[in-house]
Amino acid sequence: MLKTTGLVLGGLSVPGVLESCLTSTPSTPSGTIKIGYVSPITGPASGFGEPDAYVIGLAREAFKKGLSIGGTNYSVEIVSRDGQSTPSVGAQVANDLIQSQKVDLMLATSTPETVNPVSDACEAAGVPCVSTVVPWEAWYLGRGGKVGQPSPFKSTFHYCFGVEQFFLAYTHLWPQVTTNKKVAVMWPNDADGNAIRGALGPLLRQAGYTIVDPGPYEDGTNDYSAQIARFIQQDCQIFNTFPIPPDFATFWRQAAQQGYTKHVKIGQIAKTGLFPSQVTALGAIGNGLASGVYWAPTWPYKSSLTGKSSKELGDGYESTTGKQWNQQLGASLSLFDVAAAVLTASGAPKDKSKVIGAMKTLKVETPVGNLDWSKPASLAGTAVPNVVTTPIIGGQWNQGVSKWPIDFVICENSSDPKVPIASTLKPYTAS
Amino acid sequence: MTIVNAVLQGIFLGAFYAVLACGLSIMFGVMRIINLAHGDLAVLGAYATFVIVEQTGASALIAFVVSLPLMIVLGYVLQLTVLERSLKAGILTPLLATFGLSIVVQNLLQLAFSPDVRSLGGSAGTITTASWQVTSGLSVSALGLLVLLVAVLLFGGLQLFLSRTRVGWMMRATAEDADAAELVGIDSRAVYARATALAVATAALGGLFLGIRSVFDPVSGPTQLIFAFEAVVIGGMGSLRGTLLGGIALGVAQTVGAQIHPQFAVMAGHLLFLAVLIVRFGGARLRLRPV
Repeated sequence: MLKTTGLVLGGLSVPGVLESCLTSTPSTPSGTIKIGYVSPITGPASGFGEPDAYVIGLAREAFKKGLSIGGTNYSVEIVSRDGQSTPSVGAQVANDLIQSQKVDLMLATSTPETVNPVSDACEAAGVPCVSTVVPWEAWYLGRGGKVGQPSPFKSTFHYCFGVEQFFLAYTHLWPQVTTNKKVAVMWPNDADGNAIRGALGPLLRQAGYTIVDPGPYEDGTNDYSAQIARFIQQDCQIFNTFPIPPDFATFWRQAAQQGYTKHVKIGQIAKTGLFPSQVTALGAIGNGLASGVYWAPTWPYKSSLTGKSSKELGDGYESTTGKQWNQQLGASLSLFDVAAAVLTASGAPKDKSKVIGAMKTLKVETPVGNLDWSKPASLAGTAVPNVVTTPIIGGQWNQGVSKWPIDFVICENSSDPKVPIASTLKPYTAS
Repeated sequence: MTIVNAVLQGIFLGAFYAVLACGLSIMFGVMRIINLAHGDLAVLGAYATFVIVEQTGASALIAFVVSLPLMIVLGYVLQLTVLERSLKAGILTPLLATFGLSIVVQNLLQLAFSPDVRSLGGSAGTITTASWQVTSGLSVSALGLLVLLVAVLLFGGLQLFLSRTRVGWMMRATAEDADAAELVGIDSRAVYARATALAVATAALGGLFLGIRSVFDPVSGPTQLIFAFEAVVIGGMGSLRGTLLGGIALGVAQTVGAQIHPQFAVMAGHLLFLAVLIVRFGGARLRLRPV
């Protein structure tokens, strides 16, 4: 019925009006806003979903009184779903949230396997979607965006670090220790590994580093003696990898057995070693590994929705759950800051075109930083609309810093100078 | 020298695959069950050891000895409650039952232990990183040697058990023809329960080595199951001695493959697996017959 009216009016009305006609289908009371939230709670990437229960609790508490927008008080309902670290499930739960739950805004986080299918489903349905914690090149190029061509994405938005932030962090971190500038790399044959090989490799070479790349290996490989022999022979004093966590644990133990770790002065890991549990699990040989963070409790930003500073967020998580803070905490909460800000800024949160319009110029403070979609990321000199870059800050996992077995110590802040530096990088000596 | 090192590391890796595959081979040999939950049972065993390490601060190797009886009891219970019933319902039902069991074990572990990765490497002491440097390109790791030694003892012991002991004879007789064995007074129910208990115990041993070599989380099982399964097939389904050799062949194929190109490592193992399948079953007439 509404659809017919919409079609008849279609010729006369501007698209925005038509959209609002269609989207006002009253499956939920008009005074309720529904926010869909998809993250990996189970499966290989489930570590990212771990702070969800706490973060969603904070967001529900903050939304309890509803959101006052344009003189109307809307109640807010958060519907969270598990993407199971699997693209097909991510697409399925996203479609369910769009069609059955009729969500007004979608949020998604953590790894391309979960986020990209959700963004694709929202793009197809014209539902506004905001996502994070996928290197933005993997989100943009991985979904069909092309270098030098206009962005194909209308309703999906993203904020995250990219190759440039890794490059900045590495080139500010590595000179802190004297090395022969020979970098052994273990970049696997998967989406992340190949993207890094293509984009980060050339940048590091330009910066004067020699890359020793034995070539891509398959995820799930159980023996790395071929690569280790080559790294020893070349005396590679810097090591860099973007593996799935179990592969790094296998590699690093074999590297210690076969004597490569004695050559390593900087062990720079990414994609694994994000959470303290992954580093603690390595035992003694985890101490002193260098990594990067996208949020830490020392960051000078607060959550605009809950009013909590980064420190309060970290402390609250530790006292409530009894577990050490991890960087996903700030990133997951930042999604709800963006949601509250864009729904308010739209003036009409049930109108998808208004929400999409408001996203394009949104400015909001979140624990991970001040996000501003009017200043988009750029790729090969062309602006990439809908995408905002956020920092990666380099540092080192050190034992014996606090009451926890291991702590992340920040050693550089090139991609956000407001984040305080705690120490300098020390050579890796745990072999 | 690089090729010597590659073969040596391949033998160590293959011994690990063989230990993982041992229980799979036992269950197939005795009951014709392909246990899809075998990898998850190995991970469950690793968690059992992990809990004891956490509680007592003991070395992982000692904690494993404590957790072993628990896993053996679990094997018995598993056979009597789940597998025995499914065996009565035809060939396909045990396969589906173990598939379901795999999902249940993964989710229970996730509930109990969260998705955090764990390792037994730290608590197993210096053996995990110790090695003898023979030349600069050839090193013998203590852990690799330990796994190889355990694998040889395990398979040798099982062989003796099957050929020399009364229970072993009963197991072989039941594997050959369960109904005929019943006729001469063998309780196939008890034999099956013992076989499953043995299989779960060896899975736990595989889990111990997995936990020391690398890290594990509640969903680590299936990735290792594929290699264990390939080891069983390469060695000949149901043959224990074959499983040890099959595991080592798979390990050597992977490490030598990696010398050609790192990307070829896992692929070389899969190619060997396919080649064995083609040689063994290719050309043979595919016949549908009751197993």
